[in-house]
Amino acid sequence: MNRKVRIAQLSCGPEYSGVQKEIYDAAESVGAEVFFPDIALADVERAVDAFGLDVRSADLKLMIARAMALVEGRVDADGVFISTCFRCAEAAIVRNELRRYIPEHSRLPVVSYSFTERTTAGTLLTRMEALTTIARRRALLAREEQTGITMGVDSGSSTTKAVVMKENEIVGTGWLPTTEVLKSADGAVAQALEMAGLTMDDIQAIGTTGYGRFLIGKHLGADLIQEELTVNSKGAVYLAGHQRGASTVIDIGGMDNKAISVIDGIPGTFTMGGICAGASGRFLEMTAKRLGVDITELGPLAMKGMGKNVPMNSYCIVFGTQSLVNALAAGSSPEDVAAAACHSVAEQVFEQQLQEIDIKEPVIMVGGTSLIEGLVYAMGQLLQTEIVVPRHSQYIGAVGSALLASGFIKGE
Amino acid sequence: MAKVFIYPATSLILSDLVARFGHKPLGAALGIRERIQTAGVDSPPLQITPEEPKRGLKYAAVEVPSGVRGRMAIYGPLIEESEAAIIVTDADLAFGCMGCARTDELILFSLRQKGMPILELKYPTNEEEGIQFVAAVRKFLDSLPKEEGEA
Amino acid sequence: MGEYRPDYVDTVTKYVFIESPSMTPGELALRAYEASEGVLIKETCFGLQVSGEPESVDRLIEEIRTFDPVHIFVKDRGFPPGDPRRCRANLGGARPGYLGHEREFRVLRYITRGLEELDRREEGAEVPEPAPPAREARQKLDIKRLQELIDTEES
Repeated sequence: MNRKVRIAQLSCGPEYSGVQKEIYDAAESVGAEVFFPDIALADVERAVDAFGLDVRSADLKLMIARAMALVEGRVDADGVFISTCFRCAEAAIVRNELRRYIPEHSRLPVVSYSFTERTTAGTLLTRMEALTTIARRRALLAREEQTGITMGVDSGSSTTKAVVMKENEIVGTGWLPTTEVLKSADGAVAQALEMAGLTMDDIQAIGTTGYGRFLIGKHLGADLIQEELTVNSKGAVYLAGHQRGASTVIDIGGMDNKAISVIDGIPGTFTMGGICAGASGRFLEMTAKRLGVDITELGPLAMKGMGKNVPMNSYCIVFGTQSLVNALAAGSSPEDVAAAACHSVAEQVFEQQLQEIDIKEPVIMVGGTSLIEGLVYAMGQLLQTEIVVPRHSQYIGAVGSALLASGFIKGE
Repeated sequence: MAKVFIYPATSLILSDLVARFGHKPLGAALGIRERIQTAGVDSPPLQITPEEPKRGLKYAAVEVPSGVRGRMAIYGPLIEESEAAIIVTDADLAFGCMGCARTDELILFSLRQKGMPILELKYPTNEEEGIQFVAAVRKFLDSLPKEEGEA
Repeated sequence: MGEYRPDYVDTVTKYVFIESPSMTPGELALRAYEASEGVLIKETCFGLQVSGEPESVDRLIEEIRTFDPVHIFVKDRGFPPGDPRRCRANLGGARPGYLGHEREFRVLRYITRGLEELDRREEGAEVPEPAPPAREARQKLDIKRLQELIDTEES
């Protein structure tokens, strides 16, 4: 049994919101333990002075002091979990600054989350899992080449993807909408194997990721079952040919979005979520449906339109849809509406998530939505950068899984 | 014996002086003790369950962060029960139960709203202030009714 | 969701802090044991934790206070002694409340001084009250001082 991964908790409020147990449970389920860095009162006073952020709440001062103790190496940890109450401005400032400060001054992976009393261990699980993976599996994540014959399966909320890789090449791909999780996975796997001209017996190792990773992992007898944050980071820098140095990975998914600041293929800070499906691929799917086009046609359509011509704010998917309907009723062109929808989703991700990580170039967009060129264009405009969309970007999770799974081939 | 809310509610000094001079200090420990000794849903470390921030809606609206409402679920009933209060106004290094400045502001406001006797003072920084501090607390506590029903 | 069954229902626990030149926490514990009569006593680095039925604890606390009245301070505690949820070893560090105590330890000697003085003057003179903490602590700038400041700035 591995030593437990030690996660330092820097927080204000979870004990009083009734969610500390959820944090404990999430950590425990991924073989980690949460602890509170031990410091003295004098450390708090010194830290507030040295850090220069003079907040009123004493527990926030405590967070700052504990962060400094970690950075200065006075307290050992494998990762850091920063958590404060949702809707607290004072805490949000501290949370943001610490999330920036810790990776800048140490090698500690950091994840942050703002909770409400409704936050559950399930919500925290993927984040905790990513945190412990980064801490525990640095060697595995250092892999830069795929070897042998491996398969990766990504069971996402909207689609299921499968990839077969052989000696560092993608030789087979499969893609199906997620309906019944296992059936969709079997279908995608069959497609990928057929394209590769191989059978299941040829596969030397399997990796799974995505929401359905545990179920299909068990079903397929996977060697590696891994959350999508680390897998996608790895897959993105691999496909983009940028395994060393800093980069930023954006994955706008069907249900939630990931923004990951990556260093040498390993996630540094990341955010996951989004307030509403209005900021996700789901809204673009709805837009396409309303415009009577296939989702694959939405991108080119948007590129022909002018987003500025249509007021749209998809902060909430209901209001976003309303603007969509109103714009069409008022005679806006489908091109303009498509462009506005792409811009709105990009803007939501930009405002809600990209503010929480340090954007370092190259910015790599992955996942199914990275094929919607209108969305990539809108994101590039917002970030004022040329966005990289590598080939096979829609198979990102499956590729990352197949790549990492080759570490499990017998004799490796 | 009067029920005296102490602020900071985690204060050793105030808790001691109030009890020493014959009254009942109302502080965070009482609220936590009640939860620690009540059966229910397991919610370590303080046995404050996700239901508590909902109970806290009585004291703060839903847009107020859950940590404030959860803390107010502890303090609200104690404030309601209190008959007097002693407030140390420079208690800026009280953590945990007192660690949220927004909650602390709301506690102080709620106490001042009640129209009950309140003593406000600062921590002593030397012996002379120590003498004044203890004397003021003593005098204030002496002015409160000792027996049930005494005016 | 797990069920919670509390231990030590209807008990109270109190911290006893000692900051005395003449009595160590160990000596305090010894004398407290003699008077304990079934109340649980746990020695700590700062003094004791006593735990038991409310009446017995109150009686014992009253007794303990007489050992060294101006150097012994007492406070309620929510948890029973040694509770794993508050234990330093399990949390990785001191619970936040401990740092708050640290803050007050710094001024405890002034409180001791105040208590001594109060005893001394019990029958005697009035002790001056502290000035209420001013909400407007900042003094207005004297006009002459302002002129001086302007002059230094300009030169």
